[in-house]
Amino acid sequence: MSIVKGSNSPTDSTLIRVESLVKHFPVRIGAFAETKATVQALNGISFDIKKGETLGLVGESGCGKSTAGQTILQLHRPTSGRVYYQGTDLTQLKEKQLRPLRTKLQVIFQDPYSTLNPRMTIGTAISEPLQFHNLVPKNKRGERVAELLKIVGLNPAFATRYPHEFSGGQRQRICIARALACEPDFIVCDEPISALDVSIQAQIINLLQDLQEEFGLTYLFIAHDLAVVRHISHRVAVMYLGEMVEMAGKETLFEKPLHPYTQALLSAVPEPNPREERGRQRIVLTGDVPSPINPPSGCRFHPRCPLATETCFKMEPTWNEIEPGHWVACHEVTSPDVDVQSVLANRQHRIDYKEKLKAW
Amino acid sequence: MTDETATTTNSVSLDAEGLASSKKYNLWRDAFARLMANKLAVVSLVLIIVLLFLALFGPYITPYDFLSQDLDARNQPPSWQHWMGTDNLGRDVFSRVVYGARTATIIAFTVVGISMLIGVTLGSIAGYAGGKVDEFIMWITTVVMSVPAILLAVVASVSLRPPMGRWMENMYFLTKIQIFRQAYWVDLVLLMTALVLVLWPTYARLIRGQIMTIRNQNYVLAARALGVPTRSILIRYVIPNSLGPVIVAISAGLGSAMLTESAFSFLGIGVRPPIPSWGNMINEGLDYWRDSPHLLIYPALVLGMMTVAFSFLGDGLNDALNPRQWRD
Amino acid sequence: MTPLLNVKNLQTRFKSRQGYIYAVNDVSFHVLEGETLGVVGESGCGKSVTMLSLLKLLPPAARIEGGQAIFNGKNLLEMKTKQIRQVRGAQIGMIFQDPMSSLNPVVKIGVQMSEPLRAHLKMSKSQAWERSAQLLDMVGIPEAEARLHDYPHQLSGGMRQRVMIAMSLACKPKILIADEPTTALDVTIQAQIVDLVRDLRDELNTTIIWITHDLSLIAGFVDRVMVMYAGYIVEEAPVDDLYDDPRHPYTVGLFGALPEIGSTGQRRLTTIKGAPPNLESTPTCCPFVPRCGYATDKCHTTNPVLQPAPDAADPNHRLACWVDIRERRQA
Repeated sequence: MSIVKGSNSPTDSTLIRVESLVKHFPVRIGAFAETKATVQALNGISFDIKKGETLGLVGESGCGKSTAGQTILQLHRPTSGRVYYQGTDLTQLKEKQLRPLRTKLQVIFQDPYSTLNPRMTIGTAISEPLQFHNLVPKNKRGERVAELLKIVGLNPAFATRYPHEFSGGQRQRICIARALACEPDFIVCDEPISALDVSIQAQIINLLQDLQEEFGLTYLFIAHDLAVVRHISHRVAVMYLGEMVEMAGKETLFEKPLHPYTQALLSAVPEPNPREERGRQRIVLTGDVPSPINPPSGCRFHPRCPLATETCFKMEPTWNEIEPGHWVACHEVTSPDVDVQSVLANRQHRIDYKEKLKAW
Repeated sequence: MTDETATTTNSVSLDAEGLASSKKYNLWRDAFARLMANKLAVVSLVLIIVLLFLALFGPYITPYDFLSQDLDARNQPPSWQHWMGTDNLGRDVFSRVVYGARTATIIAFTVVGISMLIGVTLGSIAGYAGGKVDEFIMWITTVVMSVPAILLAVVASVSLRPPMGRWMENMYFLTKIQIFRQAYWVDLVLLMTALVLVLWPTYARLIRGQIMTIRNQNYVLAARALGVPTRSILIRYVIPNSLGPVIVAISAGLGSAMLTESAFSFLGIGVRPPIPSWGNMINEGLDYWRDSPHLLIYPALVLGMMTVAFSFLGDGLNDALNPRQWRD
Repeated sequence: MTPLLNVKNLQTRFKSRQGYIYAVNDVSFHVLEGETLGVVGESGCGKSVTMLSLLKLLPPAARIEGGQAIFNGKNLLEMKTKQIRQVRGAQIGMIFQDPMSSLNPVVKIGVQMSEPLRAHLKMSKSQAWERSAQLLDMVGIPEAEARLHDYPHQLSGGMRQRVMIAMSLACKPKILIADEPTTALDVTIQAQIVDLVRDLRDELNTTIIWITHDLSLIAGFVDRVMVMYAGYIVEEAPVDDLYDDPRHPYTVGLFGALPEIGSTGQRRLTTIKGAPPNLESTPTCCPFVPRCGYATDKCHTTNPVLQPAPDAADPNHRLACWVDIRERRQA
């Protein structure tokens, strides 16, 4: 059993290190399942996550953030690249070797409705990891399940019920309890609140934060809701079409975004402030997100980027640390003082509906 | 203020309130209750239970032996002595119909049992292994399914009968066990072989489809993420959730097997007279339908009723077991 | 000013296995010509069902138990199918949340768009086709003429939603009801769609009713907001007033639950404890009581009535609550 240790020994506080992670999915059609095309879900992402922090991962549909979460946990095996957990390279481990480590690396999925086995009581579901990883002796399992249910705010008497008897918010709590049963270090939260009502979302967010404090958990928080990500993360990374475009501490990213896509993304998020919103000039991107099967050449964002030049069409930008802790992948951003904002405001091509309507 | 600090404890008490209405719940009990509420399914179930009873005990309790002939009372219409009349050899139709139930039941359950065994094994392998293995097995099922059932049965029957017959003779010669003497066992075995050949691909595909679907469900992914070993995933996740369609397929298969057996017997390649099966009774009855329609009607009626009963039971089971019915 | 649409005491319920589900309870509101009304609430609050009731688009298990909806002098709820069909599309248009299931996947876009034009405006096939191309161009779809020959699955979600908008505006309806049209879309596409609707509204002076669960989304382009809970309207006010001075505990809770992108991110979000209500009975008390932090004895016994809010900046600020939370919150 060989466990490959990381070559450049990470600092003690780095829990997860991702290096050039690539994941391609073949699209198989036809009677003989030939590969017709490839979905380039992840095209080489790299980042670190430190112990006890929450890294927010944002992006729109098709950007590969969910795939990133699942590939890091080796639920999909990467096409190439490495994932280090406390120095151990997970990509080199076989499933059998990986299994004992899985307790430390957990996941909470988006849809609480489909992530629980409809034929198992929730008590059984929560005690599964206790059983399979021998974390707790048989006679103590019931106690532990009750304890976990209490931690997530559910009545322990519910252990004998089936998933469909609970509401969405409660089911998500059950999933969290199940993840906690493993006593993990690291939890990938894959859009854990998107499927829930607004008033319930806040409950779950608070719960996740409380648990992080109490148990010293590290989160990779994947979401498309920027406001939530801002609230819960320490650092934030932005993805577009399988690549990372920007990563920085929370405040820096939201106050001083450098990548044009980040700018557009932040500009598109509405705020509950009528007067400001009415007067607000948005940076509206034209066109739709291209398909990951057929990504654009060079910089993947160039067809929609108001700043695009010849270089952007030809060459892929490099992932640069523009200032300490702030990484950007853009040809046009060469220093932290670049004022992308005003350039964007001038150059964006917004569709003028009013003109078209006058003809109507 | 009140909201924040009380989030945890308040959710506990409120969660308790939220679920106070539903009593302690059991999956199977609920499914059973739903099945019982379905009148058609209950009636069908009763009919099937009667069928099984008759299959087991029928020949012992019928007034007449199914073989005994009374040549003076040929082609008699239904009367108090002969509830369903007599056939062209004076045999009591009712007793023969009851024996036919035994024939039908043996065949149906054996055939479905063996087909399920083969189908589930191959289907599971195909579904879980995927790739080339899956393709190969599916290719086999396609080939088998594309041969017309009757043709397959006829070919199997005709080509296997002589060697089977010879083998039976040798066995009798060796062991002197009476069973090998009886030609009709050959018929039965050949018929069941043909039926199994025809039926197993359906089950293989069904199981494979179920496994592939469930394999991709989020809760299986979640189980993998928890580190649940593959074997346990199959036992605790895949199989319980695929039971629904499988149970339905079994009940439909039983009805189908009975019907197919009747078709084969009707054609003369199934159970041969004098052993009664509904199919060969219908065949014989055809010759006399003008004068003695009861010879045709009763076996046909019973066959039709049982097929429909299995069908309705299958539907009822589907509704009862279907998770979509649950509040979601 | 006479409202364009005036709904009074609308009551809709669904027949379920155990009894009834009271989806819409005594809902009264109005919409003036040219204004944009936002309807906010979570799932199950009755916002969609209210609008579907107006156009008689409810599933068979639903029954409109009472009320009236006066549009253009006529009561929509009393209309026969033939009459309401003339209203749908031509006078009141509607766009839905999931554009994939709102468009017929086996029919070309051009054909689908031509349908309302030919039905209501009696155009010929070629005229309708030409007008459809114009409409697609109007909503910002590039190469409109070519797109008419496409099938829905060939377009992205944002495009499909634009097609829906184009279709709904084809006959220049007086009112456009938008039922969570951007919920399933990415945030940048959402911005595009909101942009589009805003411009359309400005140019065509269409009256819009926008249903959503997202208070941030509508802040910038609605004139009035209506908050619904458990089939009741709990608060209604002009937009500035509602965001400055929300009075109903539920509305306050909704605002509190929003992590603001512009804020410094306070440590904890204020939550609304408990879960959305069970609609299987009409409460004799305020439906929000189990989750309300300000409930008094009166709240437990009597269902509040929608009345003008005391000392509100705007006289049109209505509230269904017995408690004046301003005092309680100071404490």
